[in-house]
Amino acid sequence: MSGRERLVQVPPGVQCFVGDEARRRRSVEEKVVAVFEGWDYEEIIPPLFDYADVFAGEALASRTYSFVARDGSVLALRPDFTSLLAKIAAGRLRDRQAPLRLYYSGEVVRYEPVKAGRQNELYQMGLEHLGGDARAADAEVLAIAAECLERLGVEGFVLAVGHVGVFAGLVEAAGLAGERLATLRDRVESKDPAGVRQVLQGEGGVPQEVAVALERLTVLGGGREALDQAGSVFGFCPPARAALDELRAVTDALAAAGLARHVAVDLAEVRGLDYYTGLVFRVFAPDLGFEVGGGGRYDALLARFGRPLPAVGFMLGLDRVALLLERQGRLAVAPRSAEAVRGASLGEALARAVARRAEGVRVRFGNGEPR
Amino acid sequence: MSLTVALSKGKLLAGTEELFRRAGLPFPNGEGRRLVVPSGELRFLFVKDMDVPTYVEYGVADCGIAGRDVLLETGADVLEPLDLGFGRCRVVVASPAGRGFAPDGASSTRVASKYARLAAAHFHGRGLGVEVVKLAGSVEIAPGLGLADGIVDVVETGRTLAENGLEVIETVAESSARLIVNRASYHARRAEVQQLVETLREASAVRTGL
Repeated sequence: MSGRERLVQVPPGVQCFVGDEARRRRSVEEKVVAVFEGWDYEEIIPPLFDYADVFAGEALASRTYSFVARDGSVLALRPDFTSLLAKIAAGRLRDRQAPLRLYYSGEVVRYEPVKAGRQNELYQMGLEHLGGDARAADAEVLAIAAECLERLGVEGFVLAVGHVGVFAGLVEAAGLAGERLATLRDRVESKDPAGVRQVLQGEGGVPQEVAVALERLTVLGGGREALDQAGSVFGFCPPARAALDELRAVTDALAAAGLARHVAVDLAEVRGLDYYTGLVFRVFAPDLGFEVGGGGRYDALLARFGRPLPAVGFMLGLDRVALLLERQGRLAVAPRSAEAVRGASLGEALARAVARRAEGVRVRFGNGEPR
Repeated sequence: MSLTVALSKGKLLAGTEELFRRAGLPFPNGEGRRLVVPSGELRFLFVKDMDVPTYVEYGVADCGIAGRDVLLETGADVLEPLDLGFGRCRVVVASPAGRGFAPDGASSTRVASKYARLAAAHFHGRGLGVEVVKLAGSVEIAPGLGLADGIVDVVETGRTLAENGLEVIETVAESSARLIVNRASYHARRAEVQQLVETLREASAVRTGL
């Protein structure tokens, strides 16, 4: 690419929003932030970059834009907010009594294959609930997620809720590790019962009831009744049973709040296994093939920053929310017009414009522009 | 709104049509050139076999039928709830019979394939620096013409390989036709998707005797 081309072309993964596009995004952000504030979360505006070590988690480290500072330390542009909020909660807010309710809204950057509504520059709106009772916090965060989507006018959204403890418990019972575990996880993630069966066949025998349970994991899901079925399949495995109990307590609470129609159980949700420690969920809606957001419990992260606190978080991707709302025909912003202000002299015109502005009118300063 | 199903007009078409008819599901009649065909309570998209997972991953289609070989090659993030049992084949490494194939040798080894990603993952995953040449088809003639030392390709009967003087060195993956489902459709259109999965499960169990 020549220097001239670089002055015209856009690098892959970044976008630019103009006028009404920007207004539509702002209106989405305002609605979501109003919900966060409504549940008494406090805004954090974290730094744009920090030491790369802050983002050292396996999933993120390879995707950060990092650079060397003048003093030789390695810095990284923030690839997510959660690590930064954890650092702030353990550092600047260390004397603040838990639970802490914090939210953010802004850009993160990641090296990422560009894919429908997923750019290298992403705009995320999310919150973290640090400390406090796990079940209460999980239920609160899911209720907030549901309210955000309701307020945005998203039709037919589903919070697909799972718990990594089910899979983790079964895998431990089976004594699976290494490449075989990675393949198994990939097959569970793809809800592929035949694939799970294939992985568990052959040498290194897995107990029959564990093999059956792992295969059923890919099929069980849907309404809360799925948890009852799961109870009979996973009952032999105490950690899996405990995970199901947690899920049941949280989904029962959501049902009591009238949110059952938006909640689906998905026990094959095992994607963030290295990071999440409990309940996990993803937000889906018809008309968009990808999740619009998600979250879960990550009780191990804050200990890295010296303040071990249980934690649960949730995030919506603004780009995907906007794409979804556009497809559902719900992203319109009202047209607006400005009052043209002119005067015989520049001074007179400016005085009139300033006066109209003081009255709160949107003005277009007309002197010097053709009529 | 009806479910959209992505299909390819490639080698899985006959097995797919047979399965859908046995399951009592609608299926478009006749060939024609139309690529988007509503039929009963389903809507069908006919696309290239390597593109089926993409249409499903992006949610343009709710479901699709694709070979496991194609899923491995595209790496699409889709759900695979059902092994349909037909379209069985193997993805193999093959090379000219009797000549041997030693990718760990000192000189560089070239492999031609339609499955460039799968081939690269297979060799590079074992620390072998094999150069993969991506071809769109007729891969089996590449070694004879001197383009490559070996190939990674699908075999069903092995006849095409034999006709081109090639022998199987090893199996990279086993494949069969899979029902694939978009992640969002799986949840947001659960009732319809589950009904299709169950109908196809019953119909394919009859044939495979599972």
